[in-house]
Amino acid sequence: MNLSNLKPGQQGTILKLDSSIGPIRRRLMDMGVIPGELIKVEKIAPMGDPIEVSVKGYNLSLRKGEAKGIEVQEVVA
Amino acid sequence: MTQQKPLIVAVAGNPNAGKSTLINAIAGSRLHVGNWPGVTVEKKEALFEVEGRAIRLVDLPGCYSLSPYSQEEIITRDYLVNQQPDLIVNVVDATNLERNLYLTIQLLELGIPMIMALNIYDEAVAKGYQIKTNQMEEVLGIAVVPTSATRKTGLDDLMKRVVSVAANLPAHRPRILNYGEDIETVLSGLKSHLAEQHAPLLEQYPHRWLLLKLLEGDALVLKAANVSADLLPLHLLEHLQRAHGDDIEGLMADQRYGLASGLSREVLHKPEKRSIELTERIDRVVLNRFLGIPIFAVAMWLLFKLTFDLSSPFSDWLDAMTNGPFKRWVTAILGGIGAPDWTVSLVNDGVIAGVGSVLVFVPVIFAMMFFITFLEGSGYMARAAFVMDRAMHSIGLHGKSFIPMLLGFGCNVPGIYATRTLENPKDKVLTALLIPLMSCGARLPVYVLFVGIFFPNNPGTVIWVLYILGMLLAVLMGYIFKKTLFRGEAPMFIMELPPYRMPSFTSLCLHTWEKGKHFLIKAGTYIFAVSVLVWFMLNLPWGVEHKRDSYLGRAGATIAPIFQPVGFGTWEAASALITGVIAKEIVVGTMGEIYAPAAEETATDQQPTLGEDLKEIVVSFGGAIKTAVSTVLYLPQQEEPEEEQSALKTALQGQFTPLTSFAFMAFVLLYMPCVVVGAAMRAEFGTWKWAGLAFAYSTVLAWLVALLVYQGGRFLGLGG
Repeated sequence: MNLSNLKPGQQGTILKLDSSIGPIRRRLMDMGVIPGELIKVEKIAPMGDPIEVSVKGYNLSLRKGEAKGIEVQEVVA
Repeated sequence: MTQQKPLIVAVAGNPNAGKSTLINAIAGSRLHVGNWPGVTVEKKEALFEVEGRAIRLVDLPGCYSLSPYSQEEIITRDYLVNQQPDLIVNVVDATNLERNLYLTIQLLELGIPMIMALNIYDEAVAKGYQIKTNQMEEVLGIAVVPTSATRKTGLDDLMKRVVSVAANLPAHRPRILNYGEDIETVLSGLKSHLAEQHAPLLEQYPHRWLLLKLLEGDALVLKAANVSADLLPLHLLEHLQRAHGDDIEGLMADQRYGLASGLSREVLHKPEKRSIELTERIDRVVLNRFLGIPIFAVAMWLLFKLTFDLSSPFSDWLDAMTNGPFKRWVTAILGGIGAPDWTVSLVNDGVIAGVGSVLVFVPVIFAMMFFITFLEGSGYMARAAFVMDRAMHSIGLHGKSFIPMLLGFGCNVPGIYATRTLENPKDKVLTALLIPLMSCGARLPVYVLFVGIFFPNNPGTVIWVLYILGMLLAVLMGYIFKKTLFRGEAPMFIMELPPYRMPSFTSLCLHTWEKGKHFLIKAGTYIFAVSVLVWFMLNLPWGVEHKRDSYLGRAGATIAPIFQPVGFGTWEAASALITGVIAKEIVVGTMGEIYAPAAEETATDQQPTLGEDLKEIVVSFGGAIKTAVSTVLYLPQQEEPEEEQSALKTALQGQFTPLTSFAFMAFVLLYMPCVVVGAAMRAEFGTWKWAGLAFAYSTVLAWLVALLVYQGGRFLGLGG
């Protein structure tokens, strides 16, 4: 399961960042998107992409294509 | 004391940590704004004294990390590593401690004495956060000063600490944080390896930083140090990989974040009950599935309206002043000292007209910068990008490209300047390249003139078609550029949605002033030069009787054959197009002069006196303010009657047909953007390369489209 599968309000633990996403991977890690971290989908943009997530106490937006590279395990709150 | 070399203080921090507000508050008008060499990223510096100590403050671009993946990060670390400032001031957002500490930890690796400005402290306190700054000082080994840049608190304290730390820099080397036994073992092994085999490397860079970057396999460091990735002794690496897997970069990020979150847990106490924050409440509405787009549309309409309606009365005023009283005074003075006629003409129609054409852009640049800075500083810009990204991404652009392109419909110049809100240089350049295809206000007078003559029954539809044509071609060109020039890595959309904040008014004004000044000086020079050049073309050789014999007319006649296949191969049309590069509405003026030369103006019987002129300046400025206010408030205004241009209309009817007039309008829409746009691109990107490309591609495109319109129309039997 990856981050783009989560619906607004759902959260999950980050398992792995796919190495296929290239430099975006390091960028995401620098922004605090690292394995073990809890990540929550807050909103989806009105046109369906990008999405807004909260991680490490702040809000981040990323495209669904980028979210596909983030493997998560859903955590039921 | 003042003889001493200034203390170099580099200011680094995350985006949205209030770094530029802090710098504005400290340095104010002493700030000098330029660009980092070779790149479009802004560089701010200020030189001033605190307690008798000269300080040079250097603002580094906001970044989240010191990895080599964005321009901002590379500039920041190159500066810190190569220029070795005396001191770093790390601006940290107290309301977002953990992520900000991640950068702090990386800055510490450089071993440069550092002071932390714990900014936005007031907001953190208001949220009920308790931050143990003493403990933070102890763990990190640096001074921590709570500040609030918007309220201007803690700033004196911060600068005093800077001076006191500077008094004894070696005593303030920051602490080395322990990255865990596994990593530390590799680092010390690597260090002794380097000391044996590559001793000069250790001289060249901060030790710990170099070791860490080599371990991370940082491509830029490896290249700069001219070493290969297999410099690392294999046995060291193998141990690390056995314990933690292949992903060393990931391991390091994890390690640094581990330290950041450990420290933040220790020093930060948040209240148990979290209230629903203002940002969350605003976003529920602003990013709502149904309301998000309408709210965005209203915000954009307001932005457009405020930028252009508010500034245009002042532009008109400046225009009237330079062309009216100012010219009269100069003529009077020149006449008084007995200057020859041609000098009067050069000064009036070349120099002053040139200055005037720069000045009329100043109000719109100021207004645009003010509102764009407000949108950015308040946090809405990120939301606008979030809402629009899907649509913009589908044509290969970034969500933030929307605003510059929208502004382009008013005037391309502020649009070009607004591209600075885009972080990625590729997005920035691509957006700027497409902006000239947005039909700006200056092209409208050309359409209005032609549509009035040739399409009197459906003028609105024809103009609408032209606007749409520009947009469709922008989509097409965007696609072509994406597939050719900007091939390769897909730009990303990983963007923080910062909390909403009210930007400080002084900071807004300062920023606006900087940009306005930048435009005046940087772009103004080129615009001025071209205006003078065109004057010479129109008036040389001396004493030309007929416009056709001037250099402009001759140039027009020379290039006219190029326009034969597209339907308007006359020297008149070609000459008008040449002057249109100053500003497209000048096409109308030149056509007026060429097709229907006005009879020598009858000398005005009475020249206004100096007193009357001064009165007029003040009164009309008052009028400009009144117009600005009333347009914004929608108060009714008196329309000025349009000038009669019947002579020109008759002449044009003889020269053009509906089909060729449409081809001509399409050409005016698309052909090379005016010189002001070019100068703005030059000023923004620091090179003529992109301006040159914009000039070249748009002119070719214009010709092709006009050809298609004219030949296609003829083929369909629409008459030639």
